[in-house]
Amino acid sequence: MSGRLLAQKFVVISLGIALLATSGASFYKSRRLKEPVVLGPGVTTVRPLSTWFAPLRGTANDCNVYFLDGRTPGATMLVLGGSHPEEPAGRLVTWILAENAIVQKGRLIVVLSTNRSATTVTRLGGAYPPDFSIPTDFGSRTFRMGDRFTNPLDQWPDPEVYFHYPSGQQLAYVDIRNVNRVWPGRANGTLTEQTAYALMEMIKREKVDIELDLHEAELQYPVISTIVTHQRGQDMATLVSMTLTDSEFKIGTEFSPRTLHGLSHREIGDFSPAVSLLAETPEPFLDATRGITSREQLLTGRDEFVVKAGQHGLLFEKIDEKGWPIAVRVGRHTSTLLQIAETWGEDHPDKLLVISGVPRYKEVIANGVGHYLHDPAKAAGRVVYE
Amino acid sequence: MNMFASAGIVLATMVAVYVLIRVIRLSTELAMFGAAVGGALVAGFGFPSRHIAEGAATYLDINLIFVTATLFMNLLKESGGVAFVVRSILRRFHHNRALLLVLLTVLLLVPGALTGAGSVTVLVTGALVAVVLNAMGIPKHRAAALIFINAGLSAAAPPVSLWAMMTAAGVNMPYVGFFWPLMLPCLAGGLFTSFYLGWKGENANVMKALEELPVPPAGMSWWRVLLPFVVFGGFVFMGRQWPFSTPIVGLPLMFAAAAVISFLVSPVRLQVFRIARETVDQLLPLLATLTCAGILVEVMTLTGARGLLSLAVVTLPIWVVYASLFLVLPASEAVLMWGAAPVIGVPLVLLFNNRGLDPIIALAGMSIIWPLGDALPPTAIIGRLTVDVVGHKGTYGQFLRACLVPALFIIVVGTLMVVYSKKLGFLTGL
Repeated sequence: MSGRLLAQKFVVISLGIALLATSGASFYKSRRLKEPVVLGPGVTTVRPLSTWFAPLRGTANDCNVYFLDGRTPGATMLVLGGSHPEEPAGRLVTWILAENAIVQKGRLIVVLSTNRSATTVTRLGGAYPPDFSIPTDFGSRTFRMGDRFTNPLDQWPDPEVYFHYPSGQQLAYVDIRNVNRVWPGRANGTLTEQTAYALMEMIKREKVDIELDLHEAELQYPVISTIVTHQRGQDMATLVSMTLTDSEFKIGTEFSPRTLHGLSHREIGDFSPAVSLLAETPEPFLDATRGITSREQLLTGRDEFVVKAGQHGLLFEKIDEKGWPIAVRVGRHTSTLLQIAETWGEDHPDKLLVISGVPRYKEVIANGVGHYLHDPAKAAGRVVYE
Repeated sequence: MNMFASAGIVLATMVAVYVLIRVIRLSTELAMFGAAVGGALVAGFGFPSRHIAEGAATYLDINLIFVTATLFMNLLKESGGVAFVVRSILRRFHHNRALLLVLLTVLLLVPGALTGAGSVTVLVTGALVAVVLNAMGIPKHRAAALIFINAGLSAAAPPVSLWAMMTAAGVNMPYVGFFWPLMLPCLAGGLFTSFYLGWKGENANVMKALEELPVPPAGMSWWRVLLPFVVFGGFVFMGRQWPFSTPIVGLPLMFAAAAVISFLVSPVRLQVFRIARETVDQLLPLLATLTCAGILVEVMTLTGARGLLSLAVVTLPIWVVYASLFLVLPASEAVLMWGAAPVIGVPLVLLFNNRGLDPIIALAGMSIIWPLGDALPPTAIIGRLTVDVVGHKGTYGQFLRACLVPALFIIVVGTLMVVYSKKLGFLTGL
């Protein structure tokens, strides 16, 4: 081998090692970034998900489950954030609940990282930022960005074709790592299937009455700005959307297709007594025609390209130069959640769910999301990590 | 500066860097990598090592399938299995030109269909089929065209069609329902090509061909050839028949298992490490292409260049898109190779979806047109490889002219599939 070739190889290998080191450090940091949760006055217990399914113990998906027990008995509502961590509004809402909510009647169960493994990876080819920060009254709080799918480091390889359990419906192979395609889960399945199984066990054993899965969607996706409901929740969801559209913002209702399997709004309702609902807000960051992929775009939802796509009639939701700021998206979810609790109470006066301390749409927009996140430094003994 | 201007500058920089690197005769892969780095620097992201690493891993699974499937095919070739099949077909069917052409077409379609790479077809079966075509009196430029077009179709054929897989992944669409929409046009295009280019000629000179073809080792038999395929098919069958009690092994391990069986049942002792090394040598340019395409796409997404391109495509009048598919798809393949799928394919599928077309059929139609670009400069890797393997000594233009009519047939079929995708939706079986 000539000296020149040797030198070329040395330079290329050195550059490769430098690339590995710098990118590796970034991946290591974001996978292990600790997200503090300041336990609010309403949190009565925090238990690991493996409490309901021991094989999850020690895995990436043995997430925390936050219990907020009311002063008097009533309905139990489960709120799932982080089914798809790349949709941050849902996770931030669950943070607000854990740090602020007080339950007067009934019980709230909150999961901040439903697919915790998916919070530790970003989409290959998606150019996502590794994390994002929310400005608060005391500084800022940083969160892992996450992906839609379980981290391949925790579950790999994918099958040639994915068959949903128990329906046998054929789905895309990659969806075996999508927690919102594996409900009701499988005890001896993959990590993602076991996660859904553990949550189903909890839903049944804790006698959950209402389950709400929080999501966001690209504007090119037809299921957007809506509540998707199992048939047992149709009346309630319709009333919630009518009330919200009349008083706060426009939101629709979609009925969960009976033959589309694996989704929380279908399977939780089918396999447990709980009424299952799923809420969607607009997230321009997920649109394929988006411009620069950045933290700013993620949090402001402002994007000239997506606006242009809208002018050509290619979108299912409106967008203008104001974008879809994170406060608007979080506020839509908090109001939806509170309205569901209220509407449930109207139908079940003997089994109420009364929640306080959670801001509604206009309050979140006025004060910002960060206003409802508390300083971990000043909450010694009441901080847990996601 | 508004987003349109900044993304436009980034895109222009990427194109300029790509062209510059190609002008100084460096590889397409380096040109894609350079374009990605140049774009990131101009966009103010510096040297985005995280995104480069993440982009490089985008097609890791596909690369693994590539390596294991090609190793399997190479072991089969080295064991004399491919020569055995070609000789058997020739001996049995040399009196029947039509049947011979049909069987040779199938033989050409299998390696690429399994591996997703037309080059594997050219390397594994191309040379042997060329001998038979020569014996059938088919001139070498026409034989090269026949093998090239079938190799391209084999890459688009199911189960592994990289253009369809990469585009589907880019729009969050399941790679499900593609089998028949890909299989039927690939078979139709393959048969048309073989009959158009191979029908005229003398009766096969079987003795001459058998003399030129390598002789398989003693003991080679149909069961030794077929057993590895049975094992591979068995894995697929078990995963589909008993999905809840079969462990997930993934396609790369299935191909690796077939390779192991091929090694174990070979009548001659195979130098597995040499073959593995040669397989990786053979695949290195393709692996590099996929890796660099992943990096380019990631940086284009980061900087907004991909969004700009997507927006430009999805806002075009639909008739303009239909009318330009014959040019845009092969040209993008010639420049970006598989990188064309996420860069051009994704916005096109979004557009078709928005216009109410069937995205699966439309994407399948596009997938059969893309590989035609593999004969065009600046890359033309598979076109040149085919010409070399066949031993065509004439001009490259002669080969291209021979490709013209079959290429037109495929373009017409592919474009009609896009236009009438809604009506052909039943082919997906969904």
